[in-house]
Amino acid sequence: MVPQGLLDLYAGPQGFWDEMREGSDFRDLYRNVVHALKQLDVHSLQQKEKLASELFMNQGITFTVYNDDAGIERIFPFDIIPRILSGDEWKIIEDGLKQRLKALNLFLKDIYSSQSIIQDGIIPAELIASCPHYMREVAGIQVPHDIFIHISGIDLIRGDNGIFYVLEDNLRTPSGVSYMLENREITKRLFPELVAASRVRRVSNYPLLLHEILLSLSPAQISNPQVVLLTPGIYNSAYYEHTFLARQMGIALVEGRDLVVDNHKVYMKTTQGLEQVHVIYRRVDDDYLDPLIFKPDSALGVPGLMAAYRKGTVAIVNAVGNGVADDKAIYAFVPAMIKYYLNEEPLLPNVETYEMSNPDARQYVFDNLERMVIKRTNQSGGYGMVMGNSVTEKDWIKARKEIEADPRSFIAQPIIRLSTAPCFIDGKFEGRHVDLRPYALCGPSGIQIVPGGLTRVALKKGSLIVNSSQGGGSKDTWVID
Amino acid sequence: MLRLAGTHYIFSLDKDVNGTSSWKSVLEIFTDSDEECLKSIENNTEECLKFLLLDTRNTNCLRTLVNKARENARGVQDLITKEVWEEVNQMYHFVNQPELQQKINSYHSLEVIEPLIKHTVMYAGITDITMPRGTGWCFMNLGKYIERCLQTIAFTEKQLEITNFSEADTNDLLQWKYLLFSLSGYELHVKTYRSSNHNFNVLHQVLINENFTRSIMYSLQRIEHYLNRIIGNEINEERAALLRDFGRLFSKVRFMELDSLTKDTVPVFFEDIKVGLVEFNQRVVQHFFSYS
Repeated sequence: MVPQGLLDLYAGPQGFWDEMREGSDFRDLYRNVVHALKQLDVHSLQQKEKLASELFMNQGITFTVYNDDAGIERIFPFDIIPRILSGDEWKIIEDGLKQRLKALNLFLKDIYSSQSIIQDGIIPAELIASCPHYMREVAGIQVPHDIFIHISGIDLIRGDNGIFYVLEDNLRTPSGVSYMLENREITKRLFPELVAASRVRRVSNYPLLLHEILLSLSPAQISNPQVVLLTPGIYNSAYYEHTFLARQMGIALVEGRDLVVDNHKVYMKTTQGLEQVHVIYRRVDDDYLDPLIFKPDSALGVPGLMAAYRKGTVAIVNAVGNGVADDKAIYAFVPAMIKYYLNEEPLLPNVETYEMSNPDARQYVFDNLERMVIKRTNQSGGYGMVMGNSVTEKDWIKARKEIEADPRSFIAQPIIRLSTAPCFIDGKFEGRHVDLRPYALCGPSGIQIVPGGLTRVALKKGSLIVNSSQGGGSKDTWVID
Repeated sequence: MLRLAGTHYIFSLDKDVNGTSSWKSVLEIFTDSDEECLKSIENNTEECLKFLLLDTRNTNCLRTLVNKARENARGVQDLITKEVWEEVNQMYHFVNQPELQQKINSYHSLEVIEPLIKHTVMYAGITDITMPRGTGWCFMNLGKYIERCLQTIAFTEKQLEITNFSEADTNDLLQWKYLLFSLSGYELHVKTYRSSNHNFNVLHQVLINENFTRSIMYSLQRIEHYLNRIIGNEINEERAALLRDFGRLFSKVRFMELDSLTKDTVPVFFEDIKVGLVEFNQRVVQHFFSYS
């Protein structure tokens, strides 16, 4: 039976908001989970952990890590203990994300047309002009229903005061939603009685919602538009997700070489001849989409695609050029955007951000490096980050030179004391830092956010970097009322 | 039954899924117990699964079916291959393990259901690979497709009862997801049908989609194929009547106008096909297997 205190021994790291523990008590939200865990001994928990790994492996739920000599395909580490949010907490997140996405969408519409936000002095023109993801090529293109951001994964963190902050916006090709869905299915296998008793809000309708939105974006008013998912191919780290989503939605999974543009229309090559494509859910970055417009050596894109897009014969999801809105330097201006476009106060606060192109801010960051994290504005996945409290002197000298040479490409933020959640590691419960990526879908009928999202965990003890490429894992995320 | 039970079990773990928390519909399809008995267990997952899979007081429980199948197989060992017999035998021993009951009690039902599904899939594969394509094979398949057709009708009828075939909800595929998963037809559905008239699309799939191996049309085509092979050129008056009866039944589906099916006519249509199939099955048994 239960070795006394296996869970009771878990106190959560000191000085952080712990998702399960509140002082010496367990949070009420976790009542069922705590009860269930107390019925299980270490062996049973290890068996569940093993079963989870087998299920992930058997289903081929893997991801690829670049630059890894040990092999490229891995299981995304999964911690069996769910992270729980209350319905009230979720309401705050949901309202805040909807507000933020509305503003960001209006920003994209504006920035690729009249640019009133620049003319009104809210955002400096040079910031936009120097953004590598600002695509002049798409200026003036009419996108269906004026929606630019159809799919987003905005990263949230919870500070030590219990408040959720937006850490970054992912508005181009956010990944991880398949893990959110599979994590739930695996948890149902591991803790069926617990899932049933907890009345967890459902996430499984995400592919249906996404499919409906994709269909609704078809420029042609026909009953059966052709929707495809454009993948960079089997070597992409998120290829599993691409196949998963294509299968769930019943749409064709294509690579650039499977598509061809003729007379400003996109066609898919099939054994029955060419079939016109109306909507492309692309998981290929902007720069690679069309070698005639962007990188000329791109083998992943489709020559002529942008011309068809401009002509309006095909919809591209997410819209091309969204990168300007999730640039880490633009991030600092999102609260101002919310006020400017919506005349509202932001419901979800930003993390304080210092533009390194500002000499005063830069000096402040250098002087307080110990409590800062410096990030490249055009990097994601935890790459190119300098953690001020752990960087070696040698690395710092190198990083500082890079920052001074190109300050626009860097921002700094105070190191946030991310909340922790208990993870089952090496036969005991240990606190690890977590973030949350909820997935929002935006279509003609509004914004829908499936309740939960992907909780990413920094599995290395003390680490604040949750990205899978940096040793992160994930948890199932429950919203319960 | 296993697939439906597994689907129902997984769906019942989700919040907000209407109509799946109770096992009433599943019990009604697979048992003939009285209403009071069903009512007493319909909201208790473990009890329902035990009743469906292991409780031999339920004449249609899986354990009873497998036991009977094994008895059948024992009786026709000269007509089936050693591999088929061994697979049936393995399934028999699996389903009679005493610890299965405990696994279901402790919410590990999928650890029971999934291996059983694997056994049935193995059985299908082994028979396909090893059985000679003689008369035995034809009868096996004739029975298989009659049963498959009846099951498709039964599942669909139940789902129609739950959703009430409401035209107001025509845009909601979620209400059909349960049926499509139970029939292993969800992937084909989303790949085939792009319009949002889900009621119509689902009916099209289960009734007349020839690429869907559990559609009524597909099943009837296979029945026709195996019936023709069994009868061959040996046509006497009785066999001609059998062919005629089946032809009449098949025509009802083949020449049916899908557009004409409404909330009121769908149940009548299904009942008609069901009754026709049961009668056809009885005639086949009488003609080929009667000792009288």
